[in-house]
This record gives sequence, C-alpha cells and structure tokens, in this order.
Amino acid sequence: MKKHPRFLSLFLFIGVFIFVIVPFVPLILTSLSFGWRWPDVVPQAWSLRAWEYVVNDGRTWQAVGISLWIALIVTAINIVLAVPAANALMRYRVRGRWLFEAIIFAPIIIPPFISVMGIHLTFLRLGLTETVLGVVLAHIAPTLPYMFRAVMISYQTLSTDWEDQARMLGAGAMPRFFHVVLPHLLPGILAGASLSVLISLSQYLITFIIGAGQVVTLPILLFPFISGGDPGIASAYSLLYAVIAILALIIMDAALKRYYQMNKASQNQSKGVKP
Amino acid sequence: MNDLRIINMEKRYKSAQPREENSFMLRPVRLAIREGEFFSLLGPSGCGKTTLLKLVAGLLEADGGEVWVGDENLTNVPPESRRFAMVFQQSLLFPHKTIEDNVAFGLKMQKVGKPQRLKAARGMLEHVGLSGFGSRFPDELSGGQQQRVALARALVANPRVLLMDEPFSALDPGLRVEMRELLSRIQKEFRVTVLFVTHDRDEAFALSDRIAVMGDGKLQQVGSARELYECPETTTVASFLGLRNILGGVIENGHFASTDQLIEAAVNRPLANGDYFMIIRPEALKTTESDQSGHVRIQGIVQEMKYSRGMYSLKVKAGHQFMECVLTISQAEKVAVGEPIDLFVDTKEVWFIKK
Repeated sequence: MKKHPRFLSLFLFIGVFIFVIVPFVPLILTSLSFGWRWPDVVPQAWSLRAWEYVVNDGRTWQAVGISLWIALIVTAINIVLAVPAANALMRYRVRGRWLFEAIIFAPIIIPPFISVMGIHLTFLRLGLTETVLGVVLAHIAPTLPYMFRAVMISYQTLSTDWEDQARMLGAGAMPRFFHVVLPHLLPGILAGASLSVLISLSQYLITFIIGAGQVVTLPILLFPFISGGDPGIASAYSLLYAVIAILALIIMDAALKRYYQMNKASQNQSKGVKP
Repeated sequence: MNDLRIINMEKRYKSAQPREENSFMLRPVRLAIREGEFFSLLGPSGCGKTTLLKLVAGLLEADGGEVWVGDENLTNVPPESRRFAMVFQQSLLFPHKTIEDNVAFGLKMQKVGKPQRLKAARGMLEHVGLSGFGSRFPDELSGGQQQRVALARALVANPRVLLMDEPFSALDPGLRVEMRELLSRIQKEFRVTVLFVTHDRDEAFALSDRIAVMGDGKLQQVGSARELYECPETTTVASFLGLRNILGGVIENGHFASTDQLIEAAVNRPLANGDYFMIIRPEALKTTESDQSGHVRIQGIVQEMKYSRGMYSLKVKAGHQFMECVLTISQAEKVAVGEPIDLFVDTKEVWFIKK
C-alpha cells in the first residue's frame, strides 16, 4: 500500500522530466552550437554567436519591454472589467445570465483568428491598427475569460452576509468593497492575473494582425527565426521568452505568498504576545 | 424617548399577485419597543421573524410600513446610516483583520481617530471578557469567543438598537447559557435596546422583558414570558410554547364540557357561551391532591415516562386525547407505564381560548 504513492510520484517525475525538462536540452544545445547538422548527436562546434546577437540587438529588449507593458495593461483592464462583471452576474438576478457568460467565455472556444479578422476591419476604420492600444484591446478578448472565471469563483464563495454585516457597522459601498470584498477576491484576482499575463505574452496571431508588424512583441520577433531563419537565434529567443514567462509567474506567486505571509507573520507575532 | 416603532411593516413574495391572500411573507406588523428594552421575536423557523428583523435593519426592502426611532423616520434611510448594529448567527468577523481592528471597524467607519477607536475597542473587549485577545486573528478564537467579539463589535459604536439574529444557536448548550448571562449583564449595563430573534423558548424566556410570538408570517401575541405562558391568546401560541394539552369543548352557563366528554368543569371566569379550547399546563396536572374541592379528575393510562432534570414527563392517554404532564420523583414512584392513572387539575389553573 505504501509503495503505491511512491511509485506514482516517480512516474510523475519522469513524465514531467520528459515533457518539460527534456525539450529545453536541444534548445540550449542549438543556441550554443555552430553548424549543428545531422547525423551528429551533439554539436561539433560551439559558439555564443546566437546569444550575442540576441542580447546585443536593441530590438530584443524593446520587444521584452513592450510585451510586458502590454501584458500589464491588459491585466489591469481585465481586473477593472472582470470584478464588476462578476459582481453583477453573481449577485443580481440577471435575466439571460447564461448568455452573458457565453459571450465572455466565447473567445476560449472560438478560434481567435475568426474574431480578430472582424476586429481588424473595425480597428482599421478607427485607426487603431499598428498601435499598442489596438493590440492591448485585441488581447483582452482571449485573456478576459480566465480573469473573469477566477473572480467569479471568488465571488461565489463570498456570502452576502459579510457585506450585510459591514453595512450594519456603518460601512458605505466603497468601504464595503475595500474592507470586505477586495481582500476576499485578492487570491482569485492574482490567479486570474497570472493567466492573463501569460496568455497575453504568448499571443502571436492577434498581435501580428492588429499590430501589423509595427508593434513588436517577443513572439513577433521570434517567429521569423523559427519559420526558416536561424535555428540558433530562434532557440536563444525561445529560451529568453521562457525565462521571462517563468519570471513573471514567480514574481506574481511571490506577491501572493507575501500577502499571506504578512498575515501569518502578524499572526505569529500576536501568538508571541499571548498572556 | 427613543422608542423603536415598527408601523405596519409587511413583505410579500415576489412572484405572487399583490392582492392575493397568501402572498405575504410577513403580514403587517405593528410594534413599539421601549428604549432599553430587551424584546424577543420568538417563533418556529420560517415564521417570518428573521424577515422582520432584516426589514427593521433595512437589509430587506419592505413592501409597506415604516420604522421610527423616537421622532425620526428611518424608513428610507440606508442601513449603514441607521446607527443600528446587528449580530448574526455566524460571528462574521473579518478574517484578515485582528480582533481589535474588527471591534474598531464601526468607529473607523465613523471616522474616529485610530488611537481613540483602538482604546474604545480594547475597553469593549474587556467588557466581554476578552482583554488581551486584541492582536489575534479571528480563526485563533473558539466559536463562543468569536461571538463575544461580534457582540463587542456591534456595541462599540453605541448603536440605537441592537438587532440579533439567533446569535447563539450555533453554540453548544453550555456555552449558550453562559452567553445568555453575558448578554443580559451587558444589555443592562449599556441600557441598549435589543431586538432579539430566536426559536428557543428558554432563551427568549430567560432574556426578554417582552416577547412577540410569531407564526405563519404574522405576529401572534405580545407579552411578558409569564403572560404568554399562562394566558396564550391562540392555540398556535399555546402549542409553540409547549402547552400541548388542548381540549376542544363548549362553555354553557359557566360550565365547560369537552367534546369527547373527558372533562366537565365549572368555569370560574365570566365567559360568554360558545366554543372554547381548554388549555392545561403540564405542571398543573397532579396525581394526588389532599384537598380535592375545585379540582377535576382525569382518568387515563400512562403511555410513556421520561426522566429529565429531576422531573418525570408523562404521556397519558385519556379517552382519545394524549395529555402531557410533569411529575416530581415522589409522585412518579407510584406510576408505571401501561397502568391506569388519576390526574387532578385545579380549575383555577386552566385557561380558556375562544375558538
């Protein structure tokens, strides 16, 4: 009986190793090699050429900056949109609630290409193509569903009794939101924000169509090298992209942990004062 | 005088037609609660007592009626501005705030400075016997302690009326009695007007100056515990208060005869002829009586005997009717299940309700 979970965890470890760690090995090797060809198993010649190119090219860091900037604004807008939407749909008896939810969740199910073609036409008329604003607006469609879902679930677990209690203690609408609702939603908002940032960072097609090559995010910069350019530089870019995505996740996770630790620290402190 | 007055407050079901007879969640209620009074709403679950409380609080919108405190009409004042406080069944302490901050919350909303409100919070925590707990978090406290914090939090901003919605029903019985005593002491100390909702008769009887018994979405009777128990106005009130010995019958020329011919007795009150219910309190039934004048005898067979807290409660079948009575241990010694029994009741102790 006891051996079973150990066996399972070993299995899981191997699976994670094969599907997550192993793909990075050829990426690293390719980015560091020079003229690595079949049938060599390992590269014959080593070179930092690809990394030099990636690091020294000014466009790289500009692209990193723009990618993160877009992801940040998209996430901020998502929070502002998702919280009131979840509040309205969860708290009030909305007629045709399923319809609103279907509209919000549609971008997950319908391929983004379809909606982006329509958006593109409209944005052309409005002059929003080739602008960061246009890309930000276009990124909202595929990211909002995740943020909305996370916030909605947080709302589901918040009984209206809490707000009633705050009301009876004299709290108006704003204090109620900031003292009662927001602290409860925060973990959900952070979970939604992580997803929103990651999805925004990984958008290629939408950015390409709306940005029309003028808004250069990391995937835009990366793509030409993958599709037949230089595999060494493509690998270096891929690794850089992975590092940035992982860093973004870690930072947000740390922020959430710090929020909980702050509570816990003051809790421990109070335990020390116990009479 | 800052009396709380509830004038014809009513609440209807949303879906029902407005003029339909059964569309009421709460039929119009008229009540005046004196300043400093402890007033309970007592009734079975679903009788509308919590609805009435939430209407008074303003958390539910009334379909008619008004709430006044003194000469101020609060009907259209939002709940956060009424200066009422409320304690719910759950303590609902904000989990991310310390106990002190929780208690000080009401004062913070009134924009009282931090040192001042923390001082007030600590003082109030001392009143509920929790001094030194201020810097802890709610999840470190037991259920009873949490409810005491909730009480302190409700009282700290000096509310005009304290509303309580079955605040002790989630606690275990021993703790409940302890909390009753605490609440009773604090209520007298602060002279706060309390409107207390409960389904527990003992709780209502122990705490209240006056009680309103509710049933079927309306106010059945208002009075002190003794008035309600000894002189119930309807059989609904009687049976909810545990008076289950209810005999239907007719009074004619000062003489009561039950329809099943079980009891015939003289009525020592001037009551008009007509159909009546006779109510016999379980404590009024005795097995032996030295002086049997003015007593009525009921013959029956003991069906059930249960021991509880120094007394025996008996279920006796008399005719087609089941009677409940409470006997002392010495009286119960001569009684056994399945045996016939003679019960005596003083005609002065029975109560009549007009049908």
